[in-house]
Amino acid sequence: MNPPIFEYFAPTGIDEVIDILAKYPGEAKILAGGQSLIPLLKSRISSIPYLVSLSEVKGLSYVDEGKEGVRIGAMTVDSDLENSELIRKRFPLLHDATGQLADPLVRNVGTIGGNLSHADPANDLPAVMIALDARFAVRGRNGSREINARDFFLDTFTTAMEPEEVLTEVTIPFWGKKSGGAYVKFKKNTWNFSVAAVAVQLELEGNKCTRAHIATTSVSPKSGRMESAENILVGKALTDEVINKAASEVAASAQPTTDPYGTEEYKREILRRITREAIRKALSRAGVN
Amino acid sequence: MELSEKLVRGEGRFVDDIQMPGMLYLGFARSQYARAKILKITGAQLTHREVNFEVVEVGEGATEGGPAALSHPVLAGEYVGYVGQPIAAVYSDDRYVAEDLIDSVEVEYEPLKAIVDPEESLKREGMYPGIKSNAIVDRYFGKDFNPDPSDIVVERRLINRRVATNPIEPRGIVAAYDGHKLTVWVSTQSAHSIKEGLSEALKMEPDRIRVVQVDTGGAFGLKGGLFPEYVVACYLAMKEKRPVKWIETRREHLLASRPGRGVVANLRLYAKKDGTITGLKGDVIVDNGAFTGGSGEFSPMFIARQLAGAYKLPNAYVRAVSALTNKAPQGPYRGAGRPEAMYFIERLMDGLADKLKMDPVELRLINAAKETYTSPLGMQVEKSREFLESAIKELNYEKYKGRENVGFAFLILYHATAGGESARIKVEEGRLKVWTGGNAHGQRHDIFIKTLLKEELGVPEDLVDAMKGDTDQLADGVGAWGSRSSMVLSSAVIVAARKIKEQVEKKHGKYTLKALLEGNWDEYEFFKYDKTESSLGANLVTADIDSYGRVMVKECLSYYDAGRVLDPDNARGQNAGGAVQGIGQTLSEELSFDEDGLPLITSISDAGVLSADLVPKFGIKFYKSESPLPSKAKGLGEAPTIGVPIALSRAIELATGKLILETPIRPEYILPEERA
Repeated sequence: MNPPIFEYFAPTGIDEVIDILAKYPGEAKILAGGQSLIPLLKSRISSIPYLVSLSEVKGLSYVDEGKEGVRIGAMTVDSDLENSELIRKRFPLLHDATGQLADPLVRNVGTIGGNLSHADPANDLPAVMIALDARFAVRGRNGSREINARDFFLDTFTTAMEPEEVLTEVTIPFWGKKSGGAYVKFKKNTWNFSVAAVAVQLELEGNKCTRAHIATTSVSPKSGRMESAENILVGKALTDEVINKAASEVAASAQPTTDPYGTEEYKREILRRITREAIRKALSRAGVN
Repeated sequence: MELSEKLVRGEGRFVDDIQMPGMLYLGFARSQYARAKILKITGAQLTHREVNFEVVEVGEGATEGGPAALSHPVLAGEYVGYVGQPIAAVYSDDRYVAEDLIDSVEVEYEPLKAIVDPEESLKREGMYPGIKSNAIVDRYFGKDFNPDPSDIVVERRLINRRVATNPIEPRGIVAAYDGHKLTVWVSTQSAHSIKEGLSEALKMEPDRIRVVQVDTGGAFGLKGGLFPEYVVACYLAMKEKRPVKWIETRREHLLASRPGRGVVANLRLYAKKDGTITGLKGDVIVDNGAFTGGSGEFSPMFIARQLAGAYKLPNAYVRAVSALTNKAPQGPYRGAGRPEAMYFIERLMDGLADKLKMDPVELRLINAAKETYTSPLGMQVEKSREFLESAIKELNYEKYKGRENVGFAFLILYHATAGGESARIKVEEGRLKVWTGGNAHGQRHDIFIKTLLKEELGVPEDLVDAMKGDTDQLADGVGAWGSRSSMVLSSAVIVAARKIKEQVEKKHGKYTLKALLEGNWDEYEFFKYDKTESSLGANLVTADIDSYGRVMVKECLSYYDAGRVLDPDNARGQNAGGAVQGIGQTLSEELSFDEDGLPLITSISDAGVLSADLVPKFGIKFYKSESPLPSKAKGLGEAPTIGVPIALSRAIELATGKLILETPIRPEYILPEERA
């Protein structure tokens, strides 16, 4: 399997990257790990005449703790996130996800920026970032702008970025003291995409839920917030009854389709069960038993 | 360097490692439709107009003279019969450009309604003009009988769905032509079968063709045969007088190689109330695919004939059918009819045990053959009761009896010993070179060849070179499949070694190692063998199911009659590899299609091949026996792909309370219900 011919650029500065993207609008694409892009090219599902690698651009790989949150460089590889003590402590939801993302070989090369920019609804990080309320710094010809994760994913493989824009940084804001999250992923074999996965992030006051974000992977054309289910949780003590109701709502409002991973009905049922598990886990991580 | 070390270090030389000056890279434009009439082809370098050949059947399960109209065209003529069927060939001296050229071929089709289901196929119009029935095989085995009205009946519809063979290394060939002789380097189980196939397809004298085997990265039945792509590669090499390489992509493998299984059985097993089985009736239907040239002309009969299992079955009447479908031709996959037959009879036995509220192993014991006999379906069933008693003890069945997650399989493995095998031993410059007709593709024949030559001739192992297949070095040969190599290949080596020993004795008065190594000797032996041998086996599997219906195989134990075990490490390796394939077939491996015959599995990540985290610990013990062959060994390569799906299906059946009738078991079927 060999890709169609393409031109390869590896500039050292981000402005140069943007210039190349602007020169070939719609024909150039960023290579940021290549764990999705290269297979797409090799199987000739996609043809991209100009590839712009970020590998030579310095200073895009970091995990820094700031006052308001954690800032992550777009070229940070998934295994660095997985092994980050800071992430494990502050965002167990993201830690859960990076530990289950594809396999270790992919995690050693795949990057957070690539994972998000690819906007594959079967990728794990879109749902995680939406649930965590992350913000994405995006650079283009007119400087930087910020896009909220929940507004970033427009459709399968489509983001709110312009063709000449590059995702450079992800900021995950800190949540309240009594908060917790979890990512529960259901897959058949290690190297498969998930049948379904769900990201849950909760904030509580006393035993009452004040904030709830739920987003799914693999069961909709794009990852997005499951607001009707979130509304079931907010303002209530999270009893089994409330949790079950919210989980059923997530399952009902998802849009899975029948394929070799399972029937639509099966995927909804799996989603219901993993959502229930994720809410319980998030709750216990928030310190509520 | 030791072979395994060489391969693990990445120093193997596989077909894609071959580079030659002026090499052309070949690519294929393939059918997008499962069934269509071809109206027009543009942009192709080769079509059936130039390459107007057909692929004849060679390799495991090859039968003489199938319906000629259904032979696989090398490049499609008027019709295409499956998605992925080669329509046109393109080539370039740049591999990337060759792939670009594939995209520039345009085919105009007139789509026809695909025939996807083999049973439906029997009711549909003929797939091609002039064909009245889509049954390319329709035969009865045994004799009709009237069951005793007081007998218990268990009726089951059992399915083994299609699976890809998925060796790590896909298919591949390099062909070169010097104006007189065609030389082919290929990843294969049988250099001689490729030679025979090429000679027939290209209508060339056999002595103008040399087939050389290179390191072969797995085969599992697939690489015993000849493929359309190979014929085109050879044609092009001769036309252009340049070396030609074709390497299959994984996507091509999943679409257009020769997948195995794909069999439906509708069977009724009759028994007395005490559990003694009295008869079997029903049909076996093979999903043949769109052409002959795979194994579909052979497999329904082979499956039907084995349906007595290892039991005493007094009456049987089974219809064996192979139905045309718009899919790639069915081919042999590790076991090739053996796993299907045993799955059907063994699942019926479990069903009967449940109906009679008997322990399933106790039921098997009652019915195990006390004496060797020929079953009404035609296969010789060896006496099996003694072995089963021993298996029950050695697998410690009493400990597991009554547990709700244990399955037990009792199997008979028919070795493809008939046809024999060849070997040549050449001694020069103090070393022994050994060529054999069956070509190893991961089994390590070299280890037992060295062991046997040490025994026969006293030659130290480091003076022996086990050579890869080469038709110019070995006059004739069969192939490595059907659990046969430890039996007939090894025996050919032994007999050839004894011939050399005689020669040395004749010349020197007595045999000494020194006399052997200082001389030049060359002996060829075609070890003739006409009988199909068999051996018995048992598997015990335990499995747990979590609340999401995920299956974790806990224990996977084998007890096999391997005769003299020539190399215990190798036998353990064969067992583990086969068991992983058996688990994969049971839990997740499948090539599925939609109602238009479009393949749903086109990537390795969706093919359901087991990942390491789902692989359990394996245990294997051996029954002590000897085969009647000079090597005293019995084959075991296919035993785990026969026994493991049976035992695992039963374990899951008990753990979930759901009847398991199909492989792979669909996850939605075994998702445990939640109590309110």
